Amino acid sequence: MHVQPGSGIYFVFVAAVFFAYWASAGSRLLRLAVILLANYLFCARFGLFYVLLLPVCSSLDFLIGLGLMRAGRPPIRRVLVALSVGLNLSVLVVSRHMGVLLNRHGWDWIFPLGLSFYTFQSLTYTIDLYRRDGEGTTSLLSYLSAVTFFPTLQAGPITRVTELVKQLGARPALGRADGGRAFFLIGIGLLKKALIADYLAENLVNRVFDTPKLYSGAEVLIAVYAYSLQLYYDFSGYTDIARGSAMLLGIRLPINFDRPYASANVTEFWRRWHMSFSNWLRDYLYFSLPGVRGRIMPYVNLVITMLLGGLWHGVTWTFAIWGLLHGTALAATRGWLAWRGRPKQPASPWRHALAVGGTYHFVCLTWIFFRAGSVADAMTILGRIGSLTASFENVTALFAAVLLVGAGAMFAGKQWYALAMEWFAGRPFYVHAAALLLVAVAIQFLGGRGNAPFVYSRF
Amino acid sequence: MHEFPLQTGLTIATVGLLLAGLRLVAPAGKGPETRHFAVIVDFSDSVALSPLSPHKEPEAALVPKLPAGKLSLLDDSAGVLDHFYAALWRTEKREEGAVTRIVHYGDSPTTADLITGDVRVQLQKRFGDAGHGFLLVAKPWAWYQHTGADVSGSGWQMAPASRFVSHDGMFGLGGVSFTGSGSARSRMVFGNGGYTQFEAWYLRLPGGGEFSLWADGRALGRVDTAGDSKAPGFAAFRTESATAELEIHVERGSVRVFGITAEGPGPGVVYDSLGLNGASITVLSRMYNEQHWAEELQHRNPALVIVNYGTNEADFAEFVDRQYEKELRDALRRIHTALPEASVLVMSPMDRGRRNGGEIETMPTIPRIVEIQKRVARETGCGFFDTYAAMGGEGTMARWYAARPRMVSADLIHPYPGTGKMIAGIFTREIGAGLGRYKLRVVGR
Repeated sequence: MHVQPGSGIYFVFVAAVFFAYWASAGSRLLRLAVILLANYLFCARFGLFYVLLLPVCSSLDFLIGLGLMRAGRPPIRRVLVALSVGLNLSVLVVSRHMGVLLNRHGWDWIFPLGLSFYTFQSLTYTIDLYRRDGEGTTSLLSYLSAVTFFPTLQAGPITRVTELVKQLGARPALGRADGGRAFFLIGIGLLKKALIADYLAENLVNRVFDTPKLYSGAEVLIAVYAYSLQLYYDFSGYTDIARGSAMLLGIRLPINFDRPYASANVTEFWRRWHMSFSNWLRDYLYFSLPGVRGRIMPYVNLVITMLLGGLWHGVTWTFAIWGLLHGTALAATRGWLAWRGRPKQPASPWRHALAVGGTYHFVCLTWIFFRAGSVADAMTILGRIGSLTASFENVTALFAAVLLVGAGAMFAGKQWYALAMEWFAGRPFYVHAAALLLVAVAIQFLGGRGNAPFVYSRF
Repeated sequence: MHEFPLQTGLTIATVGLLLAGLRLVAPAGKGPETRHFAVIVDFSDSVALSPLSPHKEPEAALVPKLPAGKLSLLDDSAGVLDHFYAALWRTEKREEGAVTRIVHYGDSPTTADLITGDVRVQLQKRFGDAGHGFLLVAKPWAWYQHTGADVSGSGWQMAPASRFVSHDGMFGLGGVSFTGSGSARSRMVFGNGGYTQFEAWYLRLPGGGEFSLWADGRALGRVDTAGDSKAPGFAAFRTESATAELEIHVERGSVRVFGITAEGPGPGVVYDSLGLNGASITVLSRMYNEQHWAEELQHRNPALVIVNYGTNEADFAEFVDRQYEKELRDALRRIHTALPEASVLVMSPMDRGRRNGGEIETMPTIPRIVEIQKRVARETGCGFFDTYAAMGGEGTMARWYAARPRMVSADLIHPYPGTGKMIAGIFTREIGAGLGRYKLRVVGR
């Protein structure tokens, strides 16, 4: 049984870690040991081999980090960072793609806990040290507890290890309001996942993407809209739970989403969608490519960066097309803004709405490739939409209501969200407890579907 | 103790206690259990020691779990399918003009020609291809499709029998009435070289207009649908060479058309796949005008009528327990009355799953429907094919949904095309076995 974030056992696990952590908070050594033990217990539930693999890889990166902290000569620093990049990319590639080779020889190769987010997080440390962008640590315990910090391990948010090391090393504190904020995030994350994302997935999206020919063009289009919301609520729900879990330990993780479908162009979309990933791509991939300050290369690099970002999700034509579409759109937006110059006045509301609508529909187009099993499936879905047939027999009133609520909540001003969080954070513990109980009951009786894996947990 | 966050700790403890208490009130509810703590540190279960393991074939989801002692998935005892077997044997012996027609009424999978399309292909491969059979003249649902034929139409007002609006109950053989005037057009393209015999099925009615048929772009003939009263009308046409593309144009006034049959000279099998989305047995027992439907069936004169409903009824437990049997008996009585000689086969629904607390389970009404069908079929002189058992019985949808690659859609109702082909294979195998038993009986007389 995996400790899947959002599941009952995950919260029992978090509660146990909470009490152990704060009981030992007076001693830095003890509380780091608690975090490290929690990290490895979390991994071990997916496979005992992680408890061997991760400490070995992490310790090697730690040693490389020590080398980077001490080495002054650029060639040595380059060799060290190349070693770290090679090590982490090897872990990433071997864990995800070795199965294809081994299956031909009668073996299965299974990594139930994807290591993508671990390797991304791990690389932030050595690359930051190489660029002298962060402070390293000489404490192996501190490094190990940060690089495999369990709330971020499965699907982020990707957090700079230097930042985690700093937070874990500091004397922890958790006021009543922060505790309330953590519960608010966990509760909202659960509701997003179970009542919106899973509902949309199970009641139309999965069916339509499985057998699009059984649905009218209008229903397929609605399913694509629903998938855009499903993905947002699934992933941002996961992030909320991860951030809330970390906050219970006094650790602050970065936000990952900021109403992304309200973006007026694709560049803005990537500043608001999976922000820790797009920041990682920008900081560690895009800026590492040659010709950043050239005239043409920045555009080419954008396409290359997004193509690689697409292929990170899986080496398939669908993800490649998804990445290429986004890369091309980012390059086109950059070119357009460079040619037109930054607007001196804000766009009129109508023009802004048009831009938001256009961007949203472009993103939906790319989601078709992201979700479809093959390019042929994606073309079938596009063909169904293009058939312009309209019937709504598979779209129930409840489904439409959930879709509208999801869309409305997505576009609601974030000040409302912040106000609600602060109001909730200021309530006494029994109000927090009652609210969490209500969330649990609502999910059991309204959701009633168990907990499906988070979409991004497979990457 | 270092500034323990008491308020937050109290919240966690209170939620834990409340959820544990809730389990006492509602035992089905989920809450923390002591075993959850144990699970975190218990690695004795399936937690892998290595990412590398010898390849194991997935659990054989396809193997039907037949009840002990059951010999066949097809119950054709007492010679209830002999009329059909006799026709099929004549076809197999390639007797001149021996065409075996099968009419298959079903719900949404049949609408998309899932299973039926493969049954048609498999039977025609063995017994010969005598034509595609009945086709609606437009798509009442986006997913109306037939293997080997492409249908498109525009300008028609469509009234399917499954919409629970009976009108006059005249829905033709296929269950959908198409009303069209000047702008109405239909086009059918046949994949395997085309056919030479076509028949237009329509309604004669006072003031009825005129429509024309076009074969590969050439005029085939015109049909005047005017009549003294509402009555089924049929207009047959032959082409000298195989026609791959057939068109219908409304030429004058308003017409009501039901469909087209496309056939060849035979010998062979013709398999009419008549699927209505969302249909239940009440389409046959109530929605159809009995006299009209009887005339349509008599004109078609099939050797076998298959009644394949039950999936949509599964949503209504009270209907299943109180009303379903009566409706099924009424439908079968109507068919027997219209076609006293023809064989009738009740084909059970497939398994249908539903999600319950994260688990996929068989809808409890499905096995009840299957049992009713089995009993009623036996008592009314019909054959019975147990699709549910053929799939593997209870829990099949869960197994097929979990299979990699998946075998059914996420709605836990519709099989993927490959799965439909597999079920079709089991069905045609049983038909073949039944034919073999029939031959042995006949030869032994």
